[in-house]
Amino acid sequence: MSKILGSPRTLAILIIAASVFVLSILGGALGHAFGMGFFASSLPAIQLPAELVIYPDVYGFELKNTMLTTWLAMAVLIGLSVYLRSRMNEIPGRLQALVEIVVDFFITLCESVAGKERGRRFFPLVLTIFSFIVIANWMGILPGFGTVGRIADPEEIAHHHDVHEYHDPASAHGEKQKDEKEDAAHHGEDHDSSHLDSVKLHVFSELGAVAFLSPGSLKDELTFAQYKEKQGDVGEDKRAGHLVPFLRSANTDVNTTLAMAIVAMVMVHFWGFRILGVRVHVGKFVNFKGGPIGFFVGILEFISELARVVSFTFRLFGNIFAGEVLLMAMGFLLPLIGIIPFLGLELFVGVIQAFIFSMLTLVFASMASVSHDGPDHH
Amino acid sequence: MEGDIMNIGAGLAIGLGAIGPGIGIGMLASKAMEALGRNPEAGGQIQQNMILAIAFTEAIAIYALVVAIIIKFV
Repeated sequence: MSKILGSPRTLAILIIAASVFVLSILGGALGHAFGMGFFASSLPAIQLPAELVIYPDVYGFELKNTMLTTWLAMAVLIGLSVYLRSRMNEIPGRLQALVEIVVDFFITLCESVAGKERGRRFFPLVLTIFSFIVIANWMGILPGFGTVGRIADPEEIAHHHDVHEYHDPASAHGEKQKDEKEDAAHHGEDHDSSHLDSVKLHVFSELGAVAFLSPGSLKDELTFAQYKEKQGDVGEDKRAGHLVPFLRSANTDVNTTLAMAIVAMVMVHFWGFRILGVRVHVGKFVNFKGGPIGFFVGILEFISELARVVSFTFRLFGNIFAGEVLLMAMGFLLPLIGIIPFLGLELFVGVIQAFIFSMLTLVFASMASVSHDGPDHH
Repeated sequence: MEGDIMNIGAGLAIGLGAIGPGIGIGMLASKAMEALGRNPEAGGQIQQNMILAIAFTEAIAIYALVVAIIIKFV
């Protein structure tokens, strides 16, 4: 022990690690409770639906941040495949070898689950789903995702909370007296905005179009009620609001995962029709041959197909969204170091969820393309 | 007041929802360990299937988590 500590290099590393740890505890949200918290930034407002990158909209088209990430992931995949195709080689380079390993793994998997001929047919969709989800999930934990964005001003936040009568006291300095009159006139509507009073606002330094929550912004945090008291004056060159990131992990939006689930299940049934024929495939769900019990089982089968879409959707969405929230919360509690072990966890979860999504598509497809009367029926 | 009850609801949703999957994952892992002890050569396949099955079980806890998050933030 003394020998290890004796080496000056190890000692220096230990001291640096320990001091970073102490700094992150004192500077984080824990230290904030005791009046320190010099690194602590506010916990970003967690929103379930995707946010608008440009508010309110672009010619009636709502550009969401998850949509941007989806496009980016697609661009990466297309770029990667074009690049690999252009310099394909007998003797593979490192990148080509990596992709070949993945492709080979999935071909073997498909053929072992669904058989040689059908496995080849299912393979393209299975690998597409896997690679898209992996790229999208891993992109979501890159720096800059969910942290750099624009400021949503208090009026927009109030709008989200279904309060449409809200006036930003900061922008309404000139019309203050008119406002007060209005306030008196609309006193009856005040209960509308009462739940808004406890909503927290974060304070940003003025940075033009791009904003992020800077270290130490936790101490400036204030609620709508306090904001109103201060007449919207939060300090020189500062603005209150919420952070709306430009980029957000694609699968934290239910719409993305629902779309993929629908594509997967539609393809599963398309293959069912193609391989078994319309009569046999529909016969699984509308079954008159098996008597009343068989008919009821057919209905149950149909319901379970619908439930598969739902479970596809929420499994992926829940895992990735919970991961994002976890990363945010750890970054909030222990800045600098708290996030590091969870980044590793998110890398793992990203691959596992992508694998499960594609694997289930494969299994459902091979189940749908087998007749219930026995595997050697056709 | 309403907010307090919502917080309790969110806590209960994930807390109760985690019980089942917790038991499930424990059973899965114990069976996998047993199988591994009986047949160490099949370790790779057992592990792969175990991880898949655990992910399915875990998904149920994730549904509870989604409900809790919806209660809390929407």
